[in-house]
Amino acid sequence: MLDWAAEQIVLYWDIFKYLIPAVPWTVLITITSFSLALVLGMIIGILRISKIPAIARLAGLYINVIRGVPLLVQIFFIYFGLGGLLNLDRFTAGVLAVGICYSAYLAEIFRSGINAIAHGQYEAALSLGMTRFQTLRYVIIPQSWRIVIPPIANQFIASLKDSSLVSIIGMRELTRAGREYYSQYFVDFQTWLMVGLIYLVMTITLTKAVKYLEQFYAVKGFGTQK
Amino acid sequence: MFISIRNLVCRFGNVAAVDDISLEIEKGEVVVIIGPSGSGKSTLLRCLNALEDFDSGQIIIDDIVVDKNLKRIHDLRLEVGMVFQQFNLFPHLTVLDNIMLAQKVVRKRSSKEAAEKGRRLLDSVGLIDKVDSYPAELSGGQKQRVAIARALAMDPKIMLFDEVTSALDPEMIGEVLEVMKKLASEGKTMLIVSHKMSFAREVADRMIFMENGKIVEDGPPSQILDNPTRRRTRDFLGNVN
Repeated sequence: MLDWAAEQIVLYWDIFKYLIPAVPWTVLITITSFSLALVLGMIIGILRISKIPAIARLAGLYINVIRGVPLLVQIFFIYFGLGGLLNLDRFTAGVLAVGICYSAYLAEIFRSGINAIAHGQYEAALSLGMTRFQTLRYVIIPQSWRIVIPPIANQFIASLKDSSLVSIIGMRELTRAGREYYSQYFVDFQTWLMVGLIYLVMTITLTKAVKYLEQFYAVKGFGTQK
Repeated sequence: MFISIRNLVCRFGNVAAVDDISLEIEKGEVVVIIGPSGSGKSTLLRCLNALEDFDSGQIIIDDIVVDKNLKRIHDLRLEVGMVFQQFNLFPHLTVLDNIMLAQKVVRKRSSKEAAEKGRRLLDSVGLIDKVDSYPAELSGGQKQRVAIARALAMDPKIMLFDEVTSALDPEMIGEVLEVMKKLASEGKTMLIVSHKMSFAREVADRMIFMENGKIVEDGPPSQILDNPTRRRTRDFLGNVN
């Protein structure tokens, strides 16, 4: 019994050591793709509420198309479809696919965050001579930001988990490393348990970090104050 | 004429909220507009700083023709300050930052200059001790005084007040009206939508009674309040008092 336990501990430690070098890639894919998603999502979200109907509709189309197609299919499309034409490497293709996919969800979050701000805020800013852009920049978005932090954080955590899909095109991140270990040593239970645990530690850490972020942005009597 | 409104019509669907109004206002005049709710008082005010698009007619304020041209709307709003019933302070900014923001981004003043002006104005409305507070920490009367200071910080030539005491508890109305009286005595051109008749009597050079989008009566407060020529004005005042 003691031998078995010792053996197991050694095995888990071995798996852990094998997987850890792949973790920075998972983190890198997540952060890069989510940064792209934030920028794209913010732009699309603002275009979605444009006063020009054609622009608003185009942004709506983008959101519906992207949200209506599975991320895995988007990864295949970008890596094998566009990748062939544009000569994209695995990392770039994976980051593009996850980033574009999440930008559609973030655009909807930004849009609802902007719409949640009372109309009087626009009127006050406009009546002070601010342009529509300045109003968004200094009055609306800083308030929306506090409203959208929790749902955006959820998306960030979801994108960390979805980064595992990029393993399918051969990008060596945490899930891919797990598959490699398994195909070398055929220990499925221990390998996937360890992969799952490492993801879990990362998502729990992020959840805690988000709590701090919310408190950092809290304003007395307003928004996400606890 | 400082403010010239000619045949102004503003519709919401089939209803003409402002129905063929012509009005001229001189520099330094304090005009109080009264009338039942839905009579178009607020809409008229909102047309004057282009928060509401109007359907026909002409508004000229200090030689600026109000139309849909964004540059002219911008110039116009620099001249016309507005205070709202619901205060509309920016809740994510401190009191001082509320007053500094537009000074910096619109008037392009330095932070130092904007802060100095902000403090001076807060002092004049009696709230210098609240510079670092957030709007949520203020009472309604204090919020409204900050909102007035914020509008004044842009050095508008005209101030519009849209039922600024209607959302306030009775004991807070006085402090806001005091600030407005002071402004009136300093010769600021003011258009005030209000139901406070005693206040109107005190500050108004002129009163306008509106109903169904039209100006029913226009004259000095003594005439409107004490000897209204129209029966409708008499009925309204009878109900209000």
